[in-house]
Amino acid sequence: MHPQLPLGLRLGDHARFRNFFAGPNAEVLAALRALPGDGARMVYCSGAPGTGKSHLLQATCAAAREQGHAAWYLPLDPLLAPAVLEGLDQQELLCLDDLQRVAGHAAWEEALFHLYNRVREQGGALLVAGDGRPEELGLALPDLVSRLHWGVLYRLRELDDAERLAALQLRAASRGLDLPGDTGDYLLRRCPRDLPALFELLDRLDLASLAAQRRLTIPFVREVLLRNR
Amino acid sequence: MDGSLWQKCLNRLENELPEQQFNTWIRPLHAIEEGGALRLLAPNRFVLDWVRDHYIDSISATVTGMGDPAAPRVRLEIGTCKPKAVPATMAAVSAPRPPAPDRDARPNANHNLNPAHTFSLFVEGKSNQLACAASRQVAENPGNAYNPLFIYGGVGLGKTHLMHAIGNLILEGNPSAKVVYLHSERFVADMVKALQHNAINEFKRHYRSVDALLIDDIQFFAGKERSQEEFFHTFNALLEGQQQVILTCDRYPKEVQGLEERLQSRFGWGLTVAIEPPELETRVAIILSKAEQAQVDMPHDVAFFIAKRIASNIRELEGALRRVIASARFTGRPITLEFTKEALRDLLALQDKLVSIENIQKTVAEYYKIRVADLLSARRTRSITRPRQLAMALAKELTRHSLPEIGNAFGGRDHTTVLHACRKIVELKESDARMQEDFDNLLRSLST
Repeated sequence: MHPQLPLGLRLGDHARFRNFFAGPNAEVLAALRALPGDGARMVYCSGAPGTGKSHLLQATCAAAREQGHAAWYLPLDPLLAPAVLEGLDQQELLCLDDLQRVAGHAAWEEALFHLYNRVREQGGALLVAGDGRPEELGLALPDLVSRLHWGVLYRLRELDDAERLAALQLRAASRGLDLPGDTGDYLLRRCPRDLPALFELLDRLDLASLAAQRRLTIPFVREVLLRNR
Repeated sequence: MDGSLWQKCLNRLENELPEQQFNTWIRPLHAIEEGGALRLLAPNRFVLDWVRDHYIDSISATVTGMGDPAAPRVRLEIGTCKPKAVPATMAAVSAPRPPAPDRDARPNANHNLNPAHTFSLFVEGKSNQLACAASRQVAENPGNAYNPLFIYGGVGLGKTHLMHAIGNLILEGNPSAKVVYLHSERFVADMVKALQHNAINEFKRHYRSVDALLIDDIQFFAGKERSQEEFFHTFNALLEGQQQVILTCDRYPKEVQGLEERLQSRFGWGLTVAIEPPELETRVAIILSKAEQAQVDMPHDVAFFIAKRIASNIRELEGALRRVIASARFTGRPITLEFTKEALRDLLALQDKLVSIENIQKTVAEYYKIRVADLLSARRTRSITRPRQLAMALAKELTRHSLPEIGNAFGGRDHTTVLHACRKIVELKESDARMQEDFDNLLRSLST
């Protein structure tokens, strides 16, 4: 029998609050769920790579849209131009990711500073994420660093192994995949333990499990890992 | 409003494109279906070009692939669309948004003042006394007291608050007064728009007809010559008409590089006042006042703790306070010293990392162009003693080391030497403006 060819679809696994494992970050999650609301309208989120900033920002946008708000998600990138920010102050919620990537670029920093002022003037909400606290990013414009302190600053914490397992199981479940605890433990003991790598591995296991019509048992996972090596 | 066809396309594209790309470039576009066309609105030219260059084929193919024989043509345009009506339950809790600014060349007619920025909510202290007194006089007697009033100082020290307070008080005295507040960037953008739309005369008329013009952060005029020229004429016209001009800047007018000399000198025609970083007592008062406004019970030891740890500027001080309040609301716990330390642990950890005695010594030595070894040496010439005393005073202010520890870190000195140094610096800050300035500069560079 030929293996079934899996479709390149990942239904139901888009970045949403429901498939984000809160763990030690419940307070941050609650703050983001309240956006664009009327409480703190400026939120800055720092966190090491792989702590889920991009997921959360996209989830915040998706949730805001479900409530009928205009929202925009934009990962900052020096390959784009600061002109990409023009007019975005008209959004009710603007989520800017990867601030560290444009730190030190004078034109970007000034454009972001003006954007902050305008969003505040317009009464919109702004959620910005970066790899570190504003002071740690190497920003050259003190006015921008100061603006980043306007709202509430949060830091996303990294998960411990038990929490990683829970996060992995939640992610698997959101794709309709059952990841037994012992299989999860097996993965955590043998594979890189950062979440993006684990989620990517889950992608591969998902495809393999679909193709082979097998469940994620330890023997099956071992087989896939060996094959991929 | 998103039509159902577009929604179907989105559902399909979401599963075909990488998620980040979809969420950045496709999902937020506003769609309007009409007259056999699907109009997709991008907020600016850059987004429009990017979508056209990278995604228009996928979008078009998806639209035609929906199986509708009369599939609409896809058109990309620049524009915004009013967001969907908010469901009734949401509408009840969300505040009404202010009207969007004019999309045409007319400058915004609203005064843009934040009603919360009043004199009564401005915490006065030594660092801002003069600026505050001058601002009150200007507000009570616009056009006649000091014109222009030029307020300068570092970021996050309350310049904008004072400026709004003046505007609000002018309006209180004369509700029909035409007061306009705007950021310098807005002035430039409005002018550019006016030039593009051939409406520069209207622009001039608008700005010259105001009773008070408040422009924030004029350092951003630097290098923008056409804007400076236009502003120069507006400025002159207002002064001649005894209309009030109030400006803020992050530095003294003559120190703004890229600002024409004639502007630099004219900005000094009225009164130029500085706002300095607030001293500890003022910082405590600010926290208590803000907490009261937020209807939060703030113990004094907590206020002192936050104020002591965050010396750089008021915006950061408020940021820390907001975080403590948010955490208290989230956890339902009362605000105590322990709780505050926990809520601010990232901030405090970062500070500890940045502000060590070694770091202070290095920064002070660089500032005075001497060597760190000089600071630690037994030399007692004035050019070394003053920086050494200043560094000790900073170490006491910014770190949690005991006085004996600080003395030890300075070449094994006694704690009474440290105490003497701290007193000496307090004394010198009073009598010597230069010392005050050095201290503030160093404090700022060490605590931001």
